[in-house]
Amino acid sequence: MEVSNSCSSFSSSSVDSTKPSPSESSVNLSLSLTFPSTSPQREARQDWPPIKSRLRDTLKGRRLLRRGDDTSLFVKVYMEGVPIGRKLDLCAFSGYESLLENLSHMFDTSIICGNRDRKHHVLTYEDKDGDWMMVGDIPWEYESYISTCSLTCSFIISDLNRCFCFSMFLETVRRLKITRPERY
Amino acid sequence: MNYFPDEVIEHVFDFVTSHKDRNAISLVCKSWYKIERYSRQKVFIGNCYAINPERLLRRFPCLKSLTLKGKPHFADFNLVPHEWGGFVLPWIEALARSRVGLEELRLKRMVVTDESLELLSRSFVNFKSLVLVSCEGFTTDGLASIAANCRHLRDLDLQENEIDDHRGQWLSCFPDTCTTLVTLNFACLEGETNLVALERLVARSPNLKSLKLNRAVPLDALARLMVCAPQIVDLGVGSYENDPDSESYLKLKAAIKKCTLLRSLSGFLEAAPHCLSAFHPICHNLTSLNLSYAAEIHGSHLIKLIQHCKKLQRLWILDSIGDKGLEVVASTCKELQELRVFPSDLLGGGNTAVTEEGLVAISAGCPKLHSILYFCQQMTNAALVTVAKNCPNFIRFRLCILEPNKPDHVTSQPLDEGFGAIVKACKSLRRLSLSGLLTDQVFLYIGMYANQLEMLSIAFAGDTDKGMLYVLNGCKKMKKLEIRDSPFGDTALLADVSKYETMRSLWMSSCEVTLSGCKRLAQKAPWLNVEIINENDNNRMEENGHEGRQKVDKLYLYRTVVGTRMDAPPFVWIL
Repeated sequence: MEVSNSCSSFSSSSVDSTKPSPSESSVNLSLSLTFPSTSPQREARQDWPPIKSRLRDTLKGRRLLRRGDDTSLFVKVYMEGVPIGRKLDLCAFSGYESLLENLSHMFDTSIICGNRDRKHHVLTYEDKDGDWMMVGDIPWEYESYISTCSLTCSFIISDLNRCFCFSMFLETVRRLKITRPERY
Repeated sequence: MNYFPDEVIEHVFDFVTSHKDRNAISLVCKSWYKIERYSRQKVFIGNCYAINPERLLRRFPCLKSLTLKGKPHFADFNLVPHEWGGFVLPWIEALARSRVGLEELRLKRMVVTDESLELLSRSFVNFKSLVLVSCEGFTTDGLASIAANCRHLRDLDLQENEIDDHRGQWLSCFPDTCTTLVTLNFACLEGETNLVALERLVARSPNLKSLKLNRAVPLDALARLMVCAPQIVDLGVGSYENDPDSESYLKLKAAIKKCTLLRSLSGFLEAAPHCLSAFHPICHNLTSLNLSYAAEIHGSHLIKLIQHCKKLQRLWILDSIGDKGLEVVASTCKELQELRVFPSDLLGGGNTAVTEEGLVAISAGCPKLHSILYFCQQMTNAALVTVAKNCPNFIRFRLCILEPNKPDHVTSQPLDEGFGAIVKACKSLRRLSLSGLLTDQVFLYIGMYANQLEMLSIAFAGDTDKGMLYVLNGCKKMKKLEIRDSPFGDTALLADVSKYETMRSLWMSSCEVTLSGCKRLAQKAPWLNVEIINENDNNRMEENGHEGRQKVDKLYLYRTVVGTRMDAPPFVWIL
């Protein structure tokens, strides 16, 4: 039952492949294995620890929200036109806002999501289907806390659909790309 | 006493309310037995298969309140298949056929259907109180019949049930004339709630003391509800997501201040932690706080809240509070009697949220503590010895170290001595759950010292049959023994068959018990139901001799006066 902690730094430059870690994402479909729940080592038993189903379900639902522990989801981030990318642990962020803040800092430019804008870089991502999408349309996580936000970094306020039929950003993202303003 | 007329004796008996005492009275002599049975209004049946409704009604024809329990305790942890049994319908049908004036029904771990709820609602004019705990099999349609037909409904208390929510209008089925509600708890419903109907219902229920909402009741509705019901004593908050500057939040703050009778708080199923401060003004009155579902609230916010709760007697919390948080509890909550600390990390990711230090701090700081359930990552014998010294008054002591077979993390020894200290010091101990690395030695201690022990839960413990034998021979008051993943086998099972007549039930799963052992037991004890639960079709139990050595996956045996039950599903084999 011992599980080793994966590395906790949330960004690193990648010229060539970094040290492999259990939850590292890569270009191929191994991304699905970075989701802690599906890794056989960490799959939870249904009958241990001895807690009631209701509590078990509640805890499963919030698994993604834990902070400062060994959940991590490393994805590659490229700035369009720059051949060398960075690596980012998406689990270190609480939502789109902090992601954008961090990226803007990392690439030293202003980055937004959602709006087409002549001035700002726009953040896009490749999802598990291989399509390039605008970041911000879908909820960040399963039990995402809804909030309004400022205009420089708008993301869509979506309804907490209790049927949970959205796919969440963290589940579907494979890698990020920061596009140049002129493209849009 | 026999010189008094029956009515006088009966009047004396009215003052005797506990089930144990009334059972004792009925054994004194024939005349007392007769008087007692006609005056008994409340009956508790710990195992619904130990007796049948016909015999119950023959003995207690004036029954008004019935408590029934169905599935064994380990059903809570997915160890018992859903279709195993515990159906309430035959009971309700029998009660309806007799003309008993049923007023209260309390069910735990039973299968309830909409049909049974409908029948219940139509059959008993004075029905007042329905409490369902960990039940399943019904939908909100069943609730609608209860709401619509029970004219004098006082309590509708749904605790942790699996209810199929048809998102119907069950709340609006309460007629406008219904003003008698005292308890309304629907926190376990997953679907949407008709907020208008709910508010109207609360507004016309001046006696409402306990209101527990589900996650579909948002903040602004909560504010309005609290304005309607300032007399509330027990509140379960549903969804608590909100914006601290919004008008709703300000209204809520104002409403909360007026709830001066509020003593118990729970829920916070989805919570914005920084808004917990709205409750700070009433915290000094709280005696009970249940934040075990508030997975969003992190340690520091919990601590801020608890610092205001000086009168707390009962606290249920997640281990995200940490040892530091428990130290705050220990220094603040001097009246604490019951503490439950649940795990917040199911994968055991090495996050040492609470350890033996938190437990020791609590034991040192809370002199009135008598019940504890503690999930933790690690434990030491030294800590348990200290806890035993600090708190010799434990009635319930349940420790769950998350990793099975984990030894004392400092000395690498088994935890025999630590638990031994607990049972030796706590002379009133009635319930005990063990965990960690344990040998037969701990059972020797339990058999020797745990004289009042009624319920014992064992998992991944012991070395040989001797362990189980120590318990069976030593614990004279044992009622419920449940064992999983431990190396106890036929020798222990068969050593003293008459012991099981003094117990309610025995559960053994993933142990060393064999089919032939169980068969021999069933033969020796015809007054026992010996059930083999075997879900795996590939392992079908054979009748042949040599197959008898096959190990039984799940064994559940219980005493009964009505023989084999007729409603067992195919995968349950009653020997």
